[in-house]
Amino acid sequence: MAEEQKKKKKRRTATKAASSIGPMVKDFIVGTNRIRAEGKQKLAFTFIVCHHEEILRAMDVVPIWTENFAGICGAKRDAERFLERAESLGFSRSLCTYALCGIGFDHWREELGEMPPDAPWGGMARPDFMISTGQILCDPRAKWYQASQQYMPDVPIYNMDMPYPLYDRTADHREVLGYYHKYVVKELRGLIDFLEKQTGKKMDYDKLEERVELSDKTWNLIHETYELRSASPCPMGTGDAMNTMVPMCFMMATQETYDFFTGLNKELKEKIAKKEGVIENEKYRLLWGGGLPSWFALTDFNYFNSKGAVFPAETTYRMVTPLDEMDLPETSDPVEHLAWRWLGYWTFWYDKARKRPGSEPDVERLINYIETYDIDGVVMHEAFSCRTWHVGLIWQLHQLAKIYKPIPVLYLGKDGKQETGHRELPSLILESDIIDISSYSEVDTRNRIDAFIETLESVAKDKASVS
Amino acid sequence: MNDKKVKGLSKVENYYQHYGLRAGELNKEGEKVIGYICSFVPVEIITAAGCIPFRIKGDVHEPITKGDNLMETIVCPLVRSYFDLCLKGRYDFLSGIVIPHACDSMVRGYSAWNYSLDLPYSYFLNIPSVVKESSFEFFNAELNNYRRGLERFVGKEISDDDIAGAIRLHNNNREKAKALYEFTKPEVPLISGTELRKVLAVGLSLPISESNQLFDEVLTEIKERKASPGKKGPRILIDGACIDNYSIMEIVEGLEADVVTDTVCTGTRDYWPEADTGIDPIDALAIRYLDKINCPKTYRENRPGTFEGDIADRFGDIGARAEEFNVDGAILLVYKFCDPFGFEVPARKAYYESVGIPLLCLESEYSAGTIGQLKTRIQAFLEMIG
Amino acid sequence: MSYCLGIDIGSAYSKGVLMDDRELRASYYCLSGGDFRLTADKIKKELLSQADITSKDISRTVATGYGSKMVAFADKEITDISCHSKAISTLFPSVKTIVDFGDLYSKVFLIDGKGNLLNFLLSGKCAGGSARVLKVMAKVLQVNIENLGDLSFKAKKDIEFNTGCAVFAESEVISRVAEGFAKEDLLAAIHKALSAQCYSLAERLGIERDFALTGGGARNKGLIKAMGDLAGMDVHVPDAPHMTAALGAAILADEALKRLEVRGQNFFVDK
Repeated sequence: MAEEQKKKKKRRTATKAASSIGPMVKDFIVGTNRIRAEGKQKLAFTFIVCHHEEILRAMDVVPIWTENFAGICGAKRDAERFLERAESLGFSRSLCTYALCGIGFDHWREELGEMPPDAPWGGMARPDFMISTGQILCDPRAKWYQASQQYMPDVPIYNMDMPYPLYDRTADHREVLGYYHKYVVKELRGLIDFLEKQTGKKMDYDKLEERVELSDKTWNLIHETYELRSASPCPMGTGDAMNTMVPMCFMMATQETYDFFTGLNKELKEKIAKKEGVIENEKYRLLWGGGLPSWFALTDFNYFNSKGAVFPAETTYRMVTPLDEMDLPETSDPVEHLAWRWLGYWTFWYDKARKRPGSEPDVERLINYIETYDIDGVVMHEAFSCRTWHVGLIWQLHQLAKIYKPIPVLYLGKDGKQETGHRELPSLILESDIIDISSYSEVDTRNRIDAFIETLESVAKDKASVS
Repeated sequence: MNDKKVKGLSKVENYYQHYGLRAGELNKEGEKVIGYICSFVPVEIITAAGCIPFRIKGDVHEPITKGDNLMETIVCPLVRSYFDLCLKGRYDFLSGIVIPHACDSMVRGYSAWNYSLDLPYSYFLNIPSVVKESSFEFFNAELNNYRRGLERFVGKEISDDDIAGAIRLHNNNREKAKALYEFTKPEVPLISGTELRKVLAVGLSLPISESNQLFDEVLTEIKERKASPGKKGPRILIDGACIDNYSIMEIVEGLEADVVTDTVCTGTRDYWPEADTGIDPIDALAIRYLDKINCPKTYRENRPGTFEGDIADRFGDIGARAEEFNVDGAILLVYKFCDPFGFEVPARKAYYESVGIPLLCLESEYSAGTIGQLKTRIQAFLEMIG
Repeated sequence: MSYCLGIDIGSAYSKGVLMDDRELRASYYCLSGGDFRLTADKIKKELLSQADITSKDISRTVATGYGSKMVAFADKEITDISCHSKAISTLFPSVKTIVDFGDLYSKVFLIDGKGNLLNFLLSGKCAGGSARVLKVMAKVLQVNIENLGDLSFKAKKDIEFNTGCAVFAESEVISRVAEGFAKEDLLAAIHKALSAQCYSLAERLGIERDFALTGGGARNKGLIKAMGDLAGMDVHVPDAPHMTAALGAAILADEALKRLEVRGQNFFVDK
């Protein structure tokens, strides 16, 4: 495996910023193992997008993002042995493979009392405690640490509930936000209590306030930076964004992340000034409209590029929304603010969706991105093991096609005469998994991409003949 | 069709074969039928609103086709079957639908349900996934919101007294169901597992008062039974999520064993816990649906701090049921793509081992064709424990 | 003379079509086998000998299908989806919706009146629904695959059959045979299940008139009838549906050649 790794050519990124991510992740993983050895800071298993990073950072607790580690195993094409171990413990391979990989790894490490042989980047350190939340959209998150606890029963869990109201086209979500907010605040305060007990330290609320301010500032910066990608030619694609998600999702509320996006912002502006795109001859602009990527096949993005297609935007890992458009209630309490921001983020598209008949927040976001980024087609990925992000995609495309037909085309009518009409955007759903490589076929995937490119080609031809 | 002379088990058979028949009739008479999936929907409030709660049932014999147009095949096959049947108009008498926050398959599919059925009433009930003081407070508010939504739909107030009344009726139903389970306790059960589960399933498709009456009829009929359908074979407990088709029971009972109890939804998971009376009715429902229903979806803190203590807490009801019904072995049936159950299969196995109950774990695709293939494994298991 | 070659390396069978200025000169198909490169060479050789020409006479070659990337002598690779579309719209200009029963996947695509692809869908990995299931059934029931459709028409009883997935279908059919069900009834049930699955895929994309079936599975009369019944309209099927993609590839090669000739670049293509 190690030999193969060395031989594997590094994937080409468009931005310098994206290419700096690999070492950043490695340092991060190696760092957690160093911290484990030194024993001065507490390590917590936890999940991204829970709006609790500010609390962890302010308490000087170091998060180990377990999904991230599984992703690394996947990207290094070294997840199979951990998946197999989980399977041998009795877990079905149809379950979330991030969790299976993590549980398999934990079991192995606990059995050996040390890291499994050749563990990717030194392996995932044993945590002092685990913080989970199923929110309302991820069952594996709610079950994963509980399952891991079977193999490390002394490691306590704090499971916080972070619900948000689901979209209801007949009711205004503001009617219920009050009790949602109250609950989320209590859950976050519960986390602080738990951390205070585990670390023996008191929360410094001034520090927390600073962290919250820093991440709010970073949210706006990321939003502004990603909007730059609407330029033509597009200076940064989804392939790169699958790298730049690292500081956004794993290192929020740190100065390092703020600086990173300041740098990326500058780099993109320079590229735009020089009209430097991801590819030289940009023919098609695509939206990555749903689904986590196959971490072992990120080169598929380069394959799209080789066909003249670029991804100026993606819905995946776009975990920020502009704060000034969120209409958050004023509060001087940072915990209350975190809870408002949480609810504001999840309900961000609700009002817009309500104005367009047949729309839904997820569909509305697709339409907005299609217009902002001047999109020609939508690509999604259905990862078989993850229901959280991959159920509802077919429906979204179905609904999008129904309510949004932006392409003028000429039809051959019944009597042989040409008629004008409008069509939906072409779309493609790739099928594979996040880290289970046995679900992936390169030939098959690329054949599908080829067919999709041919579709775009003929749609472009038709469109051209209309105008 | 509602022939007054057809009673008890023959009525059950008819309503089971034509699931939804009675609800359809009542809808024609102007009653409002509210469909729901999963055990987490507080049916008491639907009854209190003057509507008929109707549990949507899957069909292993109906290949999923239309549903696949709008819902990914990585969704649990049971939910896919529900959705497919609804799209095909099997339950076209529904005036509304309630989907609870029970699992990703339900949450993420809600938009598809909501838009494609396009019913006059549709509600997503958000249920906490942890049991804490703060979650009761939240759930209480959410239940009241659910109540207000139904009030708007039926155009009248649902009072605390209405809910308390409905709680009494539904509790009554659960007591009768428990009385039915008593018939499986003798060495040769007086009611077969297949029969019992058909009764319980049909009970969830009727207005609660009719369901109570039907259960009474069945209780009388079984009491008078001369010949027993039981086998005097190994006594089996069925464990798992919602098992609403009885192929598995039929296979087991066809192999000279008796399904005497279960810990599944539409079985004891549903019928055992009652809502408390004498307290605020919304509080009583919050306690029943959040704390008393023991589903892997709800996280409970590991208080003992050990794995053994934790599984004794989490799965204690399995042991209790096994002891009460003098069980010889258990079959755990888990659906493919079911994350909540799937992630605790090893822990459940460890629990069964700790209490000394032999266990067979099966993964199901919820399709008649594939259930048949489990027969050999069930046979081998029964021979092993028999 | 301007010979054009279309070659379709499928996951199960490979096919070749040789045309001279839109006139069919030779066609051939064989099992794909394990070495796609060799198979491609074999097909080419066979076509050349049928038409009695040499390799130099071929002006342009388009490769398509699952293994198209392995056809070393091709000038261009085009996906089978575009090739099917091209051939079908040439044969049946009124067709808008095409279902391709392939061995690995079933595919549905929408085309405009000019053979341009507008959108497409492939059967899912988990749902199955490819024509392979027919091959598996023929093997299990020991029936010649050519006769499957006719036999299914002789069914007397409606029986239930659930899976369109080849793996599960095989074991399901074996257990049904053991239960004593008649071959004809089983086959009718399988055809019904498979067509329901594929029709549902087509519905997802939205069926626009007219409707055509293609691919190896479309040689099966049972499937054609079942699809027609489901759609409630007549379906167009080419005489040799398994050759459609190769034919489309040859037509596309011919079109490209003519475009190039118009641009005065014929010398470039001729080499």
